[in-house]
Amino acid sequence: MSALAERNARRAPKWLTRHETLLALILIVALIGLGEFNSRFLTVENLLNQGRLMTEIGLIALPMTFIIITGGIDLSVGAIVGLSAVMLGYSWKNFGFPLPLAIVFALAVGGLAGFVNGFVITRVKVPPLIMTIATLALYRGLAEGISQARSVRGYPEWFYVLGQGEVFGVPTQLLILIVLIVIAGVALDRTTFGRSLYAIGSNETAARYSALDVDRTKLVIYTLSGLASGLAAIVLVSRVTTTRMDMGMGYELDAIAAVVLGGTSIFGGAGTIWGTVIGLVMIQLLKNGLALTGVKGDATIVVIGVALILSVLIASSLQRRRE
Amino acid sequence: MSALSVTAAAPRASLLRRLASQEALLALAVIGLAIAVGFVNPRFLAYRNLADILLGNAYIAIAAIGMSMVIISGNIDISVGALIGVLATVSGSLAVAGAPILVCWLVPLVLGVVIMAAQGAVVAYLRIPAIVVTLGMMSILKGGLISVTGGKWITDLPQGFHLADLSLFGAPMPVVIMVAATALAALWMRWSPSGRAIYATGGNAEAARLCGVNPQRTVVMVFAIHGLFAGIATLVYATQLRVIQSTTPPGLELTVITASVVGGVSILGGVGTVVGSTLAAILIAEITSALVFIDVSPYWTDAVRGALILATVVADIQRRRRRAERGVRV
Amino acid sequence: MKARYLLSGTAAAIALAAFATGANAASKWDGGDELPTSALECGTGAAAAAAPMKYDGGQPTNPPALAGKEITVVDVPKLIGIGYFNATSKGIQDAAKELGNVKAKTDGPTEAKIDEQIKFIDNYITSGVNGILFAANDPVAIAPVLKKALSKGIHVVGYDANSTPDAREWFVNQSPFNGIAKAMVDAMAKETGEDAGFAIVTSTFTTPNQARWIAEMQAYAAKCHPKLKWLETVEAQEDNNLSFNQATTLINKHGDKLKGIFGMTSVATPASAEAVTKAGQCGKIAVVGLATPNAMKPYVHSECVKSVVLWNPIDLGYAAGYVLRAAVDGKLKPGDTSVEAGKLGKLNVINGSEILLGAPFIYDKGNIDKFDF
Repeated sequence: MSALAERNARRAPKWLTRHETLLALILIVALIGLGEFNSRFLTVENLLNQGRLMTEIGLIALPMTFIIITGGIDLSVGAIVGLSAVMLGYSWKNFGFPLPLAIVFALAVGGLAGFVNGFVITRVKVPPLIMTIATLALYRGLAEGISQARSVRGYPEWFYVLGQGEVFGVPTQLLILIVLIVIAGVALDRTTFGRSLYAIGSNETAARYSALDVDRTKLVIYTLSGLASGLAAIVLVSRVTTTRMDMGMGYELDAIAAVVLGGTSIFGGAGTIWGTVIGLVMIQLLKNGLALTGVKGDATIVVIGVALILSVLIASSLQRRRE
Repeated sequence: MSALSVTAAAPRASLLRRLASQEALLALAVIGLAIAVGFVNPRFLAYRNLADILLGNAYIAIAAIGMSMVIISGNIDISVGALIGVLATVSGSLAVAGAPILVCWLVPLVLGVVIMAAQGAVVAYLRIPAIVVTLGMMSILKGGLISVTGGKWITDLPQGFHLADLSLFGAPMPVVIMVAATALAALWMRWSPSGRAIYATGGNAEAARLCGVNPQRTVVMVFAIHGLFAGIATLVYATQLRVIQSTTPPGLELTVITASVVGGVSILGGVGTVVGSTLAAILIAEITSALVFIDVSPYWTDAVRGALILATVVADIQRRRRRAERGVRV
Repeated sequence: MKARYLLSGTAAAIALAAFATGANAASKWDGGDELPTSALECGTGAAAAAAPMKYDGGQPTNPPALAGKEITVVDVPKLIGIGYFNATSKGIQDAAKELGNVKAKTDGPTEAKIDEQIKFIDNYITSGVNGILFAANDPVAIAPVLKKALSKGIHVVGYDANSTPDAREWFVNQSPFNGIAKAMVDAMAKETGEDAGFAIVTSTFTTPNQARWIAEMQAYAAKCHPKLKWLETVEAQEDNNLSFNQATTLINKHGDKLKGIFGMTSVATPASAEAVTKAGQCGKIAVVGLATPNAMKPYVHSECVKSVVLWNPIDLGYAAGYVLRAAVDGKLKPGDTSVEAGKLGKLNVINGSEILLGAPFIYDKGNIDKFDF
């Protein structure tokens, strides 16, 4: 294996053979192509606006990358968005919480929901897919029951800065996303925490024998996933000015699509935050670019599906050939 | 790996241990829930109601059989809901266009096998993870369906088309198909070499290869069979009502996957049976109906159903863990 | 160890169930919203004209002068791929063809998701259309993006499902909520008799139009048919088979007590009719609901369903197309009391900034074959 790696190093620089690099190249080609078709696509205003629209999925995709690297998955994120959104409105209106406290409360509910996932996954050893498919139903159901399907509206103006405002000309939530991307990227790349995620994903038993606290690490990432979903809920509520129990429905598949498109292995042990970001941007801009070129929504979905399969196919076969 | 040892040990297993199996636990839950709800509202136990629960949800159980095989082989399929939508539309359109009924019934089976086998081939030979392939295929099928049909509903279906309205020896066809499909699949998986190969591939593909199983071919075969069951599920699904919506049934893939995993199919692959998934599909349908019968507020039904599914899953994992611990001691 | 988790899990589920059962003793019908209702008068008396209201819509900022020129219009319904919005889309195309100077296309999400719909509208704002037609998945959630459209000089007209008034110029109202409610409840009482129990199958409790209709139906029933007994409301998404299963469950649960089922969507109504047919209860359990004619023809012909309530969605789309053109041309300005809408003639302005299509239409055995959508 190491001999192989050495041979690689002689043939081509390692970064060039990486999935993310190849994916980024595909992305750039696609963007230039779409830009040729439509002059309104590659404008700063449009790109920033797309950044605003992709923030919620982006926030969720970061801890999802961590989770998938460990060989786990979290399908309950969309339901946690719904539950947190409902709790934000409910606590503000029915408990009479001041809005800042309600925001913290909604975040806490998201974190708790993620913690429960992590707790049962680590203590009772329920496989993550099974646990989160069950809590997907449970959390969504709680959101409906607690809210009685009612919406809460009429938030104070300052709250909308988060979802609709700008700071230095950049959408507020996009700045938050960028900061969190950097933190998540560094945490995964440069810290023992990040290395332990890869260790767990490659071989959990070995990780346990090398004295890694596997359970605590898992508990942390599922809780982070819940927290990120809660944050996404707050951003979403601020953007659309209302809460509904069906918010965030289907986000789990959007987030997972971004992560796996970005080259994170669904079997665990490999993946990067940068790859996820490229996957996220690729899906969002492809949808947008096609729409601006006059492709209708149903056809766009088809193209996204083909693109998802083809880009993973191209990236992985190029990588394999160079190896 | 564990599946192989379980199969080998099966004949020697005591009655008690067999009773404690996942299928028995689910069967107990199905019966226990019926009796408990019957106490609150005796109408729940009426033959008509119990039959309706099976009738209305047989297609989910049938689709879950194929899904279980896919999961046991170490893969997953997100596209099954969209596929069923597409197959139903194709079948219904043929019927309205005047094709012979038998053709209308056969085409979804063939098409299901072809589409799923193609996905299986991409997964097995091009080595793209199943979740990527099937997620992409879901998009393609979903968007393609609306692009082609414009979402126009199919009405005026010919009388003979409604397979689900027929009955065999007095039993309604959907239930007959569900039971037959489950039994055949269970026997095949347990006793045939190709059926056992699925467990081997899911348990440890490398070990399977060494034992003379071709994991790639097995994965393609599993997806093809899954496509066949999706086709059968479509027949029941599409012929039950007088309208085919020609869109994909919302969230059907998740319902099917839930039935499979609650049925004791470990998502890590290699463990589980299709009898469990059928029982789980019945249990979930029963819970949905029961919550209406015992007057749970409709705002809370989803939460209670979620909690019950969670409780079932946790109980099962606990039981399996305890058995594994005992196994280690022996 | 095992017992503890199993016990606590099941206990939590049962506690939740018990709690939820207790919570059912509410005075409101499930599925209705909390907004004030205004039940119409009983019987066939003409509805009293509402007090005229000041225009409360929004206006585009510096719209380009396009009177009489060709405009491109996008129609973003709640979702694409259902019979109802196919029909409204056809109406819009009909209007565009008649007008000759409108290029219209329909595009939208495949599921009725609020943020998907918002993204579609946002993309069309960027691509530079002249007009947007919409049917909102949520009146409040859609408002920011519609206001953005107005601020870019794009004309915005709603139909079928409204937004907050200041986020669009006009809304084409198929029929007031209380009018639909009255038509539905009157039809039910006529079929089942006054002293009867009924249940409701709806899509989801969060769908604003359905919630509004249910609340208005309750108010009208309390006023004019006080002996009608509401049994319960169940959710069935926009899912054919789930609607069928839920309606079947209602029939099995209530037995003789159930005399009627309301279908609140074009999916729930035919599925409920099928459930009644399969249960052999035609003639014993009435089905009244909102539905499109093609899906209902078999049941109307077999006399299992007597009457189907709906406006004509083709006309609704057609009117929306004309209203948008009139707004662009400056022929429909704030304060106007009516607008010309091609073959539909003159349509009146109500509630400040809404255009009224008309009274709900009842499809029955005599006329249903004249419609094909």
